[in-house]
Amino acid sequence: MSVKAQTNRVLLALPFAALAALWGLDFVSVQPNRIMPGTGQSLVAALGWPGALLLSGGVLAILLNAWRITSPRFWLTLALATLLLALLPLALHWAAQRHVPADQPIARIGLGAGFWALVFLLCLMIIEVLQRLRAGTHWRLLVMAVVLGSLFWFISTGRLDELALLREYQSRSRQFGTALRGHLMLVGGAVGVSLVMGFGLAVQILRRPSWQKPVLGVLSFFQTIPSLALFGLLIAPLSALSAQFPWLQQFGIRGIGWAPAVLALIGYSLLPMVRNTWVALDGVPAGVMEAARGMGMSPLQAFVRVRLPLAVPVVLEGVRITTIQAIGLTAVAALIGAGGFGTFIFQGLGQAANELILLGAIPTILLALLADMIFTALAALTAGYRKEVATS
Amino acid sequence: MNQRPYPLAAAWQLNPVWLITLGWVLCLGLAVWGMPHLEGFFRWLEPGQRQVIYQRDAFAFLLLNHMQLVAVSAAMAIVIGVGTGIIVTRGWGRDFLPLVSQVASIGQTFPPVAVLALSVPLLGFGAKPVILSLVLYGLLPIMRNTLVGLNDIDPAVRESARGMGMSPLQVLVRVELPLALPVMLAGIRTSVTINIATAAIGSTIGARTLGDPVIAGLINGNLAYTVQGAVLIGLLAVTVDQLFAAITPKRHG
Repeated sequence: MSVKAQTNRVLLALPFAALAALWGLDFVSVQPNRIMPGTGQSLVAALGWPGALLLSGGVLAILLNAWRITSPRFWLTLALATLLLALLPLALHWAAQRHVPADQPIARIGLGAGFWALVFLLCLMIIEVLQRLRAGTHWRLLVMAVVLGSLFWFISTGRLDELALLREYQSRSRQFGTALRGHLMLVGGAVGVSLVMGFGLAVQILRRPSWQKPVLGVLSFFQTIPSLALFGLLIAPLSALSAQFPWLQQFGIRGIGWAPAVLALIGYSLLPMVRNTWVALDGVPAGVMEAARGMGMSPLQAFVRVRLPLAVPVVLEGVRITTIQAIGLTAVAALIGAGGFGTFIFQGLGQAANELILLGAIPTILLALLADMIFTALAALTAGYRKEVATS
Repeated sequence: MNQRPYPLAAAWQLNPVWLITLGWVLCLGLAVWGMPHLEGFFRWLEPGQRQVIYQRDAFAFLLLNHMQLVAVSAAMAIVIGVGTGIIVTRGWGRDFLPLVSQVASIGQTFPPVAVLALSVPLLGFGAKPVILSLVLYGLLPIMRNTLVGLNDIDPAVRESARGMGMSPLQVLVRVELPLALPVMLAGIRTSVTINIATAAIGSTIGARTLGDPVIAGLINGNLAYTVQGAVLIGLLAVTVDQLFAAITPKRHG
């Protein structure tokens, strides 16, 4: 894994932009309370000269390291960028100590454009280095674990309590738990049901190829319809249904709420699920299946013990796409009262409370990124296992 | 795929796919024009409400505004996306290729509604934050497909074009872009489909789109408004998608 010693223009450009953002934009803002707009603080005002120079020094080191960079020095850049990201909560802690006196329990620190730009650019640097090193998924997971671990340590020890985002969280920590559970249940339910239904449909298409066009056609038609429209259109029939059969309301089946949300989510989830499962099952070479039959397996045995295990990685890819999509659509479902993190987003939009918007949007994004990583890792794992089986 | 000549289509020298598209366009137009005339139906649907037809803006205005938002942001996303795709596949820009293609795929993990929400702290309420997030999000599939389209071109084709005496710019414009066009169009189609949906949600941050009646209906508990908006949004999405199906070059024939 040797990399030729040549200057990496990307790793020159990104730290340069990061330095410009750090010194040109506000790092944090200080708000006296929830309603008043904050006053922006430059890097030096936020952290003092020592902190500002330390942070800039780290970024500068990455920039200089890009000159005639070699493989070991790519690792140095990775370590530096990860360290800087992991230490950003400490920087915020310093800023809070400097600007929020302990006797002002409602004063708060907002994150400035400079801070967000730095986070974004550091992430880009890490992505670039991981690519150049051809480092595996486990390195990506390790970097994420270090950064998130540090963040959660600072949060759980109360060192970031003055952050506006956490002030917002503290006043609704119970709702946050409910939203998390609601979001996960809607996504889990829709993905679970569509996995079972999608599997059934995929097997049917496999057995009757003439089904392929109509089934995929109907499902991709569904996919074309915007989420807001489908949610809206499902309200009318469901409320008519629950008006007709009042006992349904005991189970929460009404025009608004989780019922139309889950129905729409399943509708959207079926296309990627069916397509991937069908491609996966269909992709198993005919020779392999014949060999299995030749070894004396019944058709069912051959399906369960040969075709299915070989198809798992591609099916998992379908589950990944479906889950990510469902996480985003569930956020929209908050508009029809289905709960989840979208509740905070739309409440925040309604009250023009930026931090409340972030309290809904950031966990939604983190959930999607997490699902992406978990299913990518699972697919890689099962694909590796598949190779072992194939070569043994 | 062998296509039987439809008598009507043959008479008009039209591909049947264009007739279907025309049908959807007519449907959409009819729905926009006819919605206020369906008061009887909506009164039956929502008997408790005094007003059952959305009145704050004309449906035609909302439709045009919706389409304008999507068109403006699509144009910007195409320029930036295709431009980036071209830059990072030649000369010194090649250094940025791995990062750009990686970002294009990681970025699509982000839920569109979260991107929409995050643009509010940045730009406030109104059409501007909606356009920003539509451009940012719509950029990714276009950029990605441009890269795929340009990378899939057989290097021999490029070389023979150079051998024929074309300049690098001529090779790009006359050979590479036409060959990559179908894949790029597919990316633009994905981008526009997502953006029609996201623009509808943009109503919650103050853009005036067909999402307005839906949101107004949800807030006031007026099912009729919600259905009116939802039907028009659905028709718009299907019509535009059909339009893309019509202009996408067929692989055979």
